[in-house]
Amino acid sequence: MKRALGLAFVLTAVAAAPPLAHQVEKSQMAKMTLKAGDAAPDFTLLSDRWKTVKLSDYRGKKNVYLAVYVLAFTEG
Amino acid sequence: MDSPAANAAFAKQIGLSFPLLSDMNRKMLKSYGVLKSYDVENDTYQWALRANIVIDKQGIIQFIEEGDTAIDPNTALTLCTTLHKKTPVK
Repeated sequence: MKRALGLAFVLTAVAAAPPLAHQVEKSQMAKMTLKAGDAAPDFTLLSDRWKTVKLSDYRGKKNVYLAVYVLAFTEG
Repeated sequence: MDSPAANAAFAKQIGLSFPLLSDMNRKMLKSYGVLKSYDVENDTYQWALRANIVIDKQGIIQFIEEGDTAIDPNTALTLCTTLHKKTPVK
């Protein structure tokens, strides 16, 4: 399974405590700008090993799975 | 948006074998359109929903989902397996 993934990233995100969901109108949410078939915008991010990871470094080498995981350290 | 240090502690705790990335300045989240702004009581807050994104070797997005459906990674994982079979990792 690990090889099948090629490379899995988990982006963790903790911001200021979000207001309760019911206070937020759906219409306030911006639509995702990307869709399948689009070129993935390049990014450079710091990993938990304090190394920069660049998406374009994997071009031609590995498939990439990105999981955006918000509030990774909560029980929610 | 978590710091690399916080991620390292978390990765060690549960024994992860893949990198945990931090988007401290939220550039990546913005460029992927995953970061959302919410106006609550005259203040604007920004945070992301959960999302799964599969990018193939050519740098093309093969799959992208966010919100409630993205809590279950199985669709994305199945696609990863399919991609892997098509172009085996050397």
